[in-house]
Amino acid sequence: MSKQLEVEAQLKSFIEENRRREHKYGLLQAILLDIFFVFYSILVVQRAIYYKYFLDLRDLPFSWTQIIIIFFISIVIGTSWALTRTSLSCKLFGVANENKTTKWTTELFGWFLFDITFIAGWIVTKISIVSLFSSDGLNGAGRLFSALFHPQFGIFDDALFAMIETIYIALVATLISIPPTLIISFFTARNLMRENKITFAIYYVLRIILNFVRSIEPLIWAIIFSVWVGIGPFAGMIALLVHTIASNAKLYSEAIESIEQGPVEAISATGANKVQVVWHAVVPQIVLPFLSFTIYRWDINVRMATIIGLVGGGGIGTMLMQYQGLARWREVGLIVIMIAFVVWIMDYISAKIREAIY
Amino acid sequence: MLLKVQNLHKIYKSGTHALKGVSFEVEEGEFLVVIGLSGSGKSTLLRCINRLIEPTSGIVEFNGKDITHIKGEELRKVKMQIGMVFQQFNLIKRKTVLSNVINGKLGSLKTFESIIEKYSDEVYSEAYKCLETVGISDKAKVRADALSGGQQQRVAIARSLMQNPKLLLADEPVASLDPATSNSIMQYFEKINKELGTTVICNLHFLSLVRRYATRVIALRAGEIIYEGSPRDIDENWFKTIYGEEAEEVEIR
Repeated sequence: MSKQLEVEAQLKSFIEENRRREHKYGLLQAILLDIFFVFYSILVVQRAIYYKYFLDLRDLPFSWTQIIIIFFISIVIGTSWALTRTSLSCKLFGVANENKTTKWTTELFGWFLFDITFIAGWIVTKISIVSLFSSDGLNGAGRLFSALFHPQFGIFDDALFAMIETIYIALVATLISIPPTLIISFFTARNLMRENKITFAIYYVLRIILNFVRSIEPLIWAIIFSVWVGIGPFAGMIALLVHTIASNAKLYSEAIESIEQGPVEAISATGANKVQVVWHAVVPQIVLPFLSFTIYRWDINVRMATIIGLVGGGGIGTMLMQYQGLARWREVGLIVIMIAFVVWIMDYISAKIREAIY
Repeated sequence: MLLKVQNLHKIYKSGTHALKGVSFEVEEGEFLVVIGLSGSGKSTLLRCINRLIEPTSGIVEFNGKDITHIKGEELRKVKMQIGMVFQQFNLIKRKTVLSNVINGKLGSLKTFESIIEKYSDEVYSEAYKCLETVGISDKAKVRADALSGGQQQRVAIARSLMQNPKLLLADEPVASLDPATSNSIMQYFEKINKELGTTVICNLHFLSLVRRYATRVIALRAGEIIYEGSPRDIDENWFKTIYGEEAEEVEIR
């Protein structure tokens, strides 16, 4: 009996220790976040609101020493503020003292952050009601719109050919993306990779690479590849392919993460090995979502392929860019109408297919 | 002695202390039923036995071998000898009944063979035999999700029979079924226990089923064994200790 008590005491201290460590960690996070908040507020108030709005400077003065000084000031203020356990970040990480001061500071500082962000945003975007409704501007827009609504059908056959090229670019990019995406997605699914440290490291590195690739827009990939392989449909296709793999791998692996655990448990209880568990318990559950994502991605890729054409990715986008450069708005009008039509059709078809397979 | 559990503790990462020093033994051929409220640690106990989860401390001995902390290939070999049936059946819904049953054999099949799903005739005839044991061989080609709950549970039993298990674990196998179906499922467990000589450990809720099928009963409360003995000896007082003062026994027929 005493042995059992001993075990229990041991466990209790273990749990207690764990909680203390978590608490410490939370406070550290709170300090860092508070430093950031203070740093951010000072910078926004000084640079966006004071320099740009009140002094109306065109070129903002920039000096590293000043920024470093501000940073050190924020470290002092942020740390001491977080250590009083009444700051906004303490509240966010759950290490705050629950009292009136906390309530007041969180509310006031929260609103302060929101307000300066909005005001700075307004100033930076140069929002101007005047230029939106100036008569010059309105006239120009009117001319353009009337041209767009009187399309020139003389170039219809060329445009149709370019459109087909665009659709094929999208289709090929989507098809080629499937095998690599499938393989990658299994290595980026948390529930399959968290068991030991090596697989978890692979998971982590892959996720970072994917996030990086995904954060670069297909438009920029197209610019890179049009230098790499030359301007044309091939460059556009590779650009789409790269981005499709990165974004679909995320969707696929999320589908893997949200499968029912029951069948996985049941199959691994029979003594099946890892590969068999994945193949017989995971794969059957994700075939349909995968198919659905892939079809949807084709639809997205058609839309993106038109944009990519603008920077030399081939297809209808390139053609649009040429006529826009010549200011032949009636031809541009035809192309825009065709793009809208095809996008609408693709949207409809992909929705119907996805409905049918579920 | 088929199974020996000694002073078993399980603490989850969340800090829940699910098992607090559970010890018991199971002889070959027994039909052991584990009862207790939801959250009393019944499911955790079963999962520690076939090592779907790893115990925090204590010893689990299966067939004379310590399996408490084994890993990899060794663990797979042990899992192959222990079948498990779940409350939610856990079949692969989009697959046929037959391929669900064959899934039970995966441990002893080659990986490549199981991926291209080319199985030998022996495997097929074995699968049909298992389906016949639970009386559902006519549904072999039907998709698993087209079956009723009771039928799905029979398929799940057939899947575990495919392993030729020495020990069959059942985690509340009838908790999501109606009373009549529950009874018939329990009869299949009894048949497997008596005719094939498979040892059964089963989590159950209904005392009427416990009295009818169990050869021995263990009651858990808050992770501790508070009763061990014959099902006939559970009287009104014991019942209240196990399920709490307000509990009343419900008859299901």
